[in-house]
Amino acid sequence: MNTPVLQIRDLSVSYRTERGLLQALRHVSFSVPEGKIIGIVGESGCGKSTLISSIMRLFAPNAQVDNGSIVFKGRDLLGLSPDDMRSLRGDEISMVFQDPMTSLNPVLNIGRQMADVQNRSGSSRVDKRARSLMMLERVGIPDPVSQLSRYPHQLSGGMRQRVAIAMALMTEPSLLIADEPTTALDATLEVQIIHRLQELQRDFGCSILFVSHHLGVIAELCDEVIVMYAGEVCECGPTREVFFEPRHPYTQKLLECDPARIQRRTRQLPVIGGSLPNLVDLPPGCIFRQRCEQAMTRCATNRPVLSADVHRAACHLQDAGS
Amino acid sequence: MSSLLSVRDLRVRFRLPGSLLSRSGKKPAHVDVVHGVSLDIERGQTIAIVGESGSGKTTLAMALCGLAPVLGGEVYFNGRKLDRGKNSRLNPDRKKVSLMFQDPVGSLSPRMTIRQALAEPFLIHRTGEKNPEEQALRLLSLVGLNEELADRYPHQLSGGQARRVGVARAVALNPDLLIADEPTAGLDVSIQGEVLNLLARLQQDMGLGIMLITHNLNVVRHMADQMAVMYLGRFVEQGDSEKIFKRHRHPYTAALLSANPCLDPELRLDRIELTGEVPSLLQRPAGCEFNTRCPRVQERCQLSFPETTTDADGHTFKCFYPIGQAIEDPPYPSN
Repeated sequence: MNTPVLQIRDLSVSYRTERGLLQALRHVSFSVPEGKIIGIVGESGCGKSTLISSIMRLFAPNAQVDNGSIVFKGRDLLGLSPDDMRSLRGDEISMVFQDPMTSLNPVLNIGRQMADVQNRSGSSRVDKRARSLMMLERVGIPDPVSQLSRYPHQLSGGMRQRVAIAMALMTEPSLLIADEPTTALDATLEVQIIHRLQELQRDFGCSILFVSHHLGVIAELCDEVIVMYAGEVCECGPTREVFFEPRHPYTQKLLECDPARIQRRTRQLPVIGGSLPNLVDLPPGCIFRQRCEQAMTRCATNRPVLSADVHRAACHLQDAGS
Repeated sequence: MSSLLSVRDLRVRFRLPGSLLSRSGKKPAHVDVVHGVSLDIERGQTIAIVGESGSGKTTLAMALCGLAPVLGGEVYFNGRKLDRGKNSRLNPDRKKVSLMFQDPVGSLSPRMTIRQALAEPFLIHRTGEKNPEEQALRLLSLVGLNEELADRYPHQLSGGQARRVGVARAVALNPDLLIADEPTAGLDVSIQGEVLNLLARLQQDMGLGIMLITHNLNVVRHMADQMAVMYLGRFVEQGDSEKIFKRHRHPYTAALLSANPCLDPELRLDRIELTGEVPSLLQRPAGCEFNTRCPRVQERCQLSFPETTTDADGHTFKCFYPIGQAIEDPPYPSN
């Protein structure tokens, strides 16, 4: 097997707040293999955004890395100099954000912005323009020539997100991080973008880290999925296995809650009772214990670790069953 | 008994910016955002309006609350015609229709505590309520929030909590009709469930009629009794929601339903993928307005606009070649 593009080992990140140290990520480990689409699911507050900002090393001023490493193509990103990191960003690792209206510059036209992204390539203006046109065509934008002179507000939401994807892929990165890229879009556009991403991933051979709280999109797009809860990875594995045989009670609950799964029409939708634990004052044992219906005495004291399978879950029920 | 809300051929037209001089050219001076919409909402019932962004869903909601310029059509509320005159603000019906806005935090004043925000409706409508602050606490417990939250500001709430405050504010004056604009957008699945369950409970307790605006079809399937599919300001298909999910006739509805991402990674649906972009409201296509993206498009669709067809069960749609009918057959409705 070839080496993964990105390997995160035992990463813990916390924020200094007035109330104390908020432990946003705790002992997160996973890897992104070459040419695969990895999905990260989890509800708000599960640490998805902190994880992304750690990989990009765009930390908030009050963030601190307590432990762990982020190895990208053999180099630990956390140990790179700011200059080296800057040369990776947008070149080797690029990103598509949730809201294309705020991630594109409103006062520059599309052509100018796309040329700016190619600044480091050192090619001529004519070449940059040709490459911009080629990329716009690749992401399925009709009449690319006239689009170059338009401004973001003149494009529809779906077009803007496609422009953002074109810009992210322009430098042929090894890793594309997509942070909820379809949340702001309608269902029909969502499907268009997902298919486009799949196609582009095949053509460019890059790896994609796809972050979303939309389970349906993850099921459709990703090869592997990582489920996060309150700053920990609670389950990961091939998408099929995680969706068909979820092992962690949180994953099971999350899947049950999705109204798409409930075939019979119902007025009373299932919910996960309780609320997220306070990450400043962590409860001992399993982080999901207070909301888990299958909690045992052991869960109150021992923190479960991820099992060693391909399809892994951090739950005491795993070793109890085997 | 008459419906709670009955809308007939409602049209909303916005004036476009520009001087009189620039109007002398070819540029249109107006844009019709809602174009001949009719619907009925009964007490205790939910109607869902679905459609892509820019199809006019929110404008329709605004128009029903008197917040958008109505060009034509009639709106009856509780059997009485709503007057859109200058004094419409004073209309007693205004407090019987409430609107839940899309952005829960944005729709609360950042400088008011939750207590103040919840007491405000009583003060604005001069209900004679002696102790609006007590009412605020009652509303908080009604939507399942802790009284501790009363003295917080909107930015101190989570998305789900802000949503609940939005619900509390909307039902403060015991409305008959609640218009919920994307009540679950941006919420996680389990919190989405909580908010929808809350709406369902209030509907049962208060006999609310609900107009639910969303593009999440899974929500529609569970919540709505009736649904209407909107495209470029018109309802292209309308009827009982269960029936539409089972047997839809308009190709646009079919595309919307098939686009609904599915939780089953194995299942690959025969997805109808729409090509092209939503046409601009300023340049509505000739003929059927969906013809630029329709997979079943025929010559006739580009020439004339399909009239509304009504099935035996009251399910209506606007299409010459509806699903369930071969394209070779004569166009529908045959006239």
